[in-house]
Amino acid sequence: MSPDTMTLASFLPALPEIILAIGILVLLLVGAVAGQRATALVTGLAVVTIVISGVVLVLSPASGVAFSGSFILDGFARLMKLLALIGSAVAIIVSVGFLRAQKIDSFEYPVLILIATLGMLLMISANDLIAAYIGIELHSLALYVLTAFSRKSVRSTEAGLKYFVLGALASGMLLYGASLIYGFTGQVTFSGIAAALHGEAPSVGLVFGLVFLIVGLAFKVSAVPFHMWTPDVYEGSPTAVTAFLAGAPKLAAMALFIRAIVVPFAPITHDWQQVIVFISIASMVLGAFAAIGQQNIKRMMAYSAIGHMGYALVGLAAGTATGVQGTILYMLIYMVMAIGTFVAILAMKRQGVMVEGINDLAGLAKTHPLMAFMLAMLLFSLAGIPPLAGFFAKFYVFIAAVQAGLYALAVIGVLASVVGAYYYLRIVKIMYFDDPAPKLDPVAPELGAVLGLSGIFMIVFVVIAGPIGSAAELAAKTLF
Amino acid sequence: MRDGSLLLVLILLPFVGAVLAALLRPNARNTEAWLAGSVAGGGLLVTLFAYPQVSDGGVIRYVIPWIPSLGLSVTLRMDGFAWMFSLLITGIGLLVVLYARYYMSPQDPVARFYALLLTFMGAMLGVVLSGNLILLAVFWELTSIVSFLLIGYWHQNESARAGARMALTITGAGGLFLFLGLILLGRIAGTYDLDGVLKAGDVIRAHPLYSTVLVLVLAGALTKSAQFPFHFWLPNAMAAPTPVSAYLHSATMVKAGVFLLARFWPVLSGTPEWFTIVGIAGLSTLLLGAYFAIFQQDIKGLLAYSTISHLGLITALLSFGSPLAAVAAIFHMANHATFKASLFMAAGIIDHETGTRDMRKLSGLFRFMPYTATLAMVASAAMAGVPLLNGFLSKEMFFSEALEEHHETILDTIAPYVAVAAGAFAVAYSARFIYSVFFGPKPTDLPHMPHEPPRWMRFPVELLVVICVLVGVVPNLTIGPFLRSAVISVLGPDTPAYSLSVWHGVNLPLIMSIASILGGLALYWFLRRELKIDADGAPGMRGIDGQRVFERILVAVSWRGARIAESWLTTTRLQPQLRLVVALAVLAGAWAMAGSWHLVPPVNLHGLDPVLGALWAVGMVCSVAAAWSARDHRLSALILVGGTGLVTCMSFIWLSAPDLAVTQLLVEIVTTALILLGLRWLPKREGLPPRKLDLMARYRRGRDLLIAVLAGTGLAGLAYFAMLMPRPPSVGDYYLEHAYVDGGGTNVVNVILVDFRGFDTAFEIVVLAIVALSVFALLRRFRPAEDNLDRPFQQQEQDANDEVRRDREVGDTLKDYMLVPSVIMRWMFPAISLFAAYLFLRGHDLPGGGFAAGVTLAIGFLLQYLAGGARWVEERLRILPVRWIAVGLLFSIGTGLGAILFGYPYLTSWFQYVEIPFIGKMPAASVLVFDLGIFWLVVGAIVLVLVAIAHQSLRTRTRRSAAERQEAA
Repeated sequence: MSPDTMTLASFLPALPEIILAIGILVLLLVGAVAGQRATALVTGLAVVTIVISGVVLVLSPASGVAFSGSFILDGFARLMKLLALIGSAVAIIVSVGFLRAQKIDSFEYPVLILIATLGMLLMISANDLIAAYIGIELHSLALYVLTAFSRKSVRSTEAGLKYFVLGALASGMLLYGASLIYGFTGQVTFSGIAAALHGEAPSVGLVFGLVFLIVGLAFKVSAVPFHMWTPDVYEGSPTAVTAFLAGAPKLAAMALFIRAIVVPFAPITHDWQQVIVFISIASMVLGAFAAIGQQNIKRMMAYSAIGHMGYALVGLAAGTATGVQGTILYMLIYMVMAIGTFVAILAMKRQGVMVEGINDLAGLAKTHPLMAFMLAMLLFSLAGIPPLAGFFAKFYVFIAAVQAGLYALAVIGVLASVVGAYYYLRIVKIMYFDDPAPKLDPVAPELGAVLGLSGIFMIVFVVIAGPIGSAAELAAKTLF
Repeated sequence: MRDGSLLLVLILLPFVGAVLAALLRPNARNTEAWLAGSVAGGGLLVTLFAYPQVSDGGVIRYVIPWIPSLGLSVTLRMDGFAWMFSLLITGIGLLVVLYARYYMSPQDPVARFYALLLTFMGAMLGVVLSGNLILLAVFWELTSIVSFLLIGYWHQNESARAGARMALTITGAGGLFLFLGLILLGRIAGTYDLDGVLKAGDVIRAHPLYSTVLVLVLAGALTKSAQFPFHFWLPNAMAAPTPVSAYLHSATMVKAGVFLLARFWPVLSGTPEWFTIVGIAGLSTLLLGAYFAIFQQDIKGLLAYSTISHLGLITALLSFGSPLAAVAAIFHMANHATFKASLFMAAGIIDHETGTRDMRKLSGLFRFMPYTATLAMVASAAMAGVPLLNGFLSKEMFFSEALEEHHETILDTIAPYVAVAAGAFAVAYSARFIYSVFFGPKPTDLPHMPHEPPRWMRFPVELLVVICVLVGVVPNLTIGPFLRSAVISVLGPDTPAYSLSVWHGVNLPLIMSIASILGGLALYWFLRRELKIDADGAPGMRGIDGQRVFERILVAVSWRGARIAESWLTTTRLQPQLRLVVALAVLAGAWAMAGSWHLVPPVNLHGLDPVLGALWAVGMVCSVAAAWSARDHRLSALILVGGTGLVTCMSFIWLSAPDLAVTQLLVEIVTTALILLGLRWLPKREGLPPRKLDLMARYRRGRDLLIAVLAGTGLAGLAYFAMLMPRPPSVGDYYLEHAYVDGGGTNVVNVILVDFRGFDTAFEIVVLAIVALSVFALLRRFRPAEDNLDRPFQQQEQDANDEVRRDREVGDTLKDYMLVPSVIMRWMFPAISLFAAYLFLRGHDLPGGGFAAGVTLAIGFLLQYLAGGARWVEERLRILPVRWIAVGLLFSIGTGLGAILFGYPYLTSWFQYVEIPFIGKMPAASVLVFDLGIFWLVVGAIVLVLVAIAHQSLRTRTRRSAAERQEAA
């Protein structure tokens, strides 16, 4: 409580966040003063802000805790934050053309993404329950608004409303769980909770709190049974927003999920392991089966996201450093796959009108061979087919599950990925073998670049798997 | 070059070639063929060059670190067995490239074809040369994908698309199972290195997970090698160009499954599970494949089923578990590859030169292409197992192994009969192929005039047939040493003595051979007429069609099942989603409680004051009633919520927290009043619900009530038990002790707000200011619903009444009606202001403070608005809420900065008691100025919201009158 703990140097670990926060305020002022004329300027500066924040994050020598232990910058946080920043920057870049075409380009958009990004960074670095909650809320509130960003579209506003109502409910549960945990351990910091739990049988109230905490976090990563919002929100949101939503926020939520479960509750791993196993199985199975019947590619990707969160949770369910490493890698690879795929969806435009049907991709291999090839690589990777990146993602988590003795989980996971492979391959078949649909418009250069890079990442991951795996291993070790 | 970098060259060569091939012009036929040919030839040379190192059981290894964090590395490993496969892959690959040069038509985009073919060659070499289980799984899936792309090469063809998808679905899924099986296998063996795994056979067979591993690995191997019941993808894959069929679907890729079985034969075989599963699969495939083959009308269909049958033969041999059977299996792998590849190429030549592969149309081709016909006949004879050809040798070994007792089961007993029957079928379909295609009358309606193929198109067939004959006549001089090195590398020291001679004397296997040849010829004789006119497919088996079953399952899963699952499991409506989340939360809670009910302490009502209890009961009734009436009676719901709030205030007083109570009371009043004003602008409700509810509605309500009761009770119970917990050390104690000492006040809440956590408060009031501004900004743009534009019903009545009466002005009734309350409200204003000042000044030591005072003064303003209306108030009072907010902020933040001037950290407080005339001694801390800022800001913020709502009715009125004017005009 003594005031001298707060020196300027003690804020240093949070410097990237502080830069981002100042950037947000400045850009908001720029936009407020200059009006919508400044949209392009604000958008550009937003990307610059993210880049500066990322550079500071990488170069910053200060690791450790800040804000009296609420905030932590460790290897895990560094890696995940860097990925989240990359995801956000890419999301801003690819949204420009879309927003302009939809006539919803306004300076608030990049600012809202920055706010969400700030929330994500706080989530990743949260070292106690309160900071975690603040991060979640900051990021969620911005996302609710972004979802409803196309104000004149009924679908978009409906999606925003649903997301908000359900999200508020889930946040409430999370907060309730957090307060129960505090009530039964007397601690809010993650390490403090771990210390309080050490060597003691957990009380019923604590397990209760833990379950509600998991409920709230499962909602954020859209894992079954708290996935209901995902298809509606993915389909209803403007596609550029969905592209953002599918990448970095999922990664940040998963990072918080990992830290908030693995660190404080390490002494009672067996109590939460079965919950995660259940959530994981349910997500994998539902994601696989529900995606098959979809005709709208955004909605299909929503179910695909649910399924992939199930796979990522397989690693967490193992509860080991290898498992967490697997989840980190899974989220890394998934983020690239999701962004790449949604960029391809952003490029699905016919005579200036966005199309979202899977059948609109028919014969893409003839009209846009390069786009079709990159998208096919992404889809093969999503299906988990070697030697593409998605295979390694699954490989890491399954191997962790097997090592932890969760054989049933691994078998069900493989079965679900067989079903999942079916609908990804169906799209490949439609693109390559079906009679061409009317030609889509040429792909914008920035979309093409991002799509190409993500497709190439899928292919070359096999070569760079070693160093990336080691980075994830180091990150995972910091939590154990 | 003992270091094994040879292997790296061997593996990389095809992939590099594939990239180059893909970059060439799509119609550069000769260049492509030369490129692919050199790659395959180069691979062949490298393979031959490596032979001395593996000839006597030696192993070449090459290791590159890959993902060290998982202990994975790229390990290439070649032993005699892998060498034999490498030879087949590169050698037949070379012949197929040569053949394809003449087979593919100038319109086909050959760049893609050769690129894929070379990729496949690389992937297949990867499968056989992998020294690491994971690497093996990777290459395995790669072969499935390339096979998919090659089958679908002519994608304008519907059957090619369907066949490609089916092949990939089956083999790809099998590959995933294999992958999991290999992970488990590596886990059990403790290493993913193939050598390590091969040494750990005993550990693996004794492990409890052995049967799981076995099933998973077999799922991969049997799907790849098209074993029953997964065989049906192979005939459908015949839509591929014939070089592909010859290469992938007879010589190499489909051999990957049996290759894997042989590879892990030392580790996995010999158990009853192995014998049962592999044996059933092998024997039934052997028999059924041969049976189906007889009744195919398409030459390639016949060859495909024949391939299935021969793969079944190899599988059956491997299932026996005896080393001699394994030798026969390995031998047959090589033999089958040679004769079947040549037959496919011959079929392709026939197709190419005549334009059809339908055996009902073809006949008498011998007179047009005698040379090709002779080659095909020799190869068919090898397929049928005629003596002096290579097929005969391995078939003899199979017969003698089938006779041996291995395990005392029914499978073992029927094995010889199955072998003879299948042998007869093989002779029958071979005979049928030869007779119906090459003999008989001249063909009538062929698309092209048949003739001999180009010289170099026929060359691969010639070469392969020559090999068949040489191996069949002098096996020991030709294949002998190579087979030996392959066998040693699989069986190791257990390698049995075996003989490759053509003549073993008259024994039972020879009799079985003769029986099957005669039986097969007889069978063909009986069936020949039916076959010439019959429809496709085997009699009695047309109903049981794996392909149809597969498609039905696919449709059921992918469309019907998915639709049903979607309608059951998902919804786009919000209410069910909310219901589900709440219900799940209740369930999750119940799950957490499960088994711990006895730990729940009993509810202890002892010592509860009855008055407090009654008070709380009132509060609960109020809240439930508020929820009950929220939908249809908003006003009463709001008042009931207010009641709950009052009960809370009273509880605070009861529990000796007057400061909280004052704040809570004031906040209650101001929020209730503001919401009251806002109610006016909500959309009108749409009629009352029907009195009588139908059954569904009742059910829904009952269910929702149940969920609500459960969730509510659960929450209340949890809160109760949480409060029974021993209180953790709290920061509250610190504040209680230090409030007066450090902060100079006895009202701890106020001291916390303005001193200890002054920094937080400063930010909180900033937030409050932002909220007020946002509400104002939002309401300025607010458009009420159409049905709200009119004045309220009651007001209309009153105004109408006033208008009719001459002595009254519009608005008089309202004035009279509100006379007493409005006079009281107006006169209350000074009193309230004074009370606010009182609350403010005593705030540091007693309940009150800047926040409470601000809310109080705002209530004063609110009452004026209620009593007189917006116009009346604003004519008399100048209220500039935005300035109040600004001044308040400046004061609060400025005070904090003041501390810095004196060299203290931001917001350090200073306090002193001062004597003020008439009022007496009062505390005068610097925080008082801070508090004053809070006071101003709170007044400003609340009044700003009030103004925003109040002005709504003014604006609506002007808009409505404007609209009316427009209508009149």
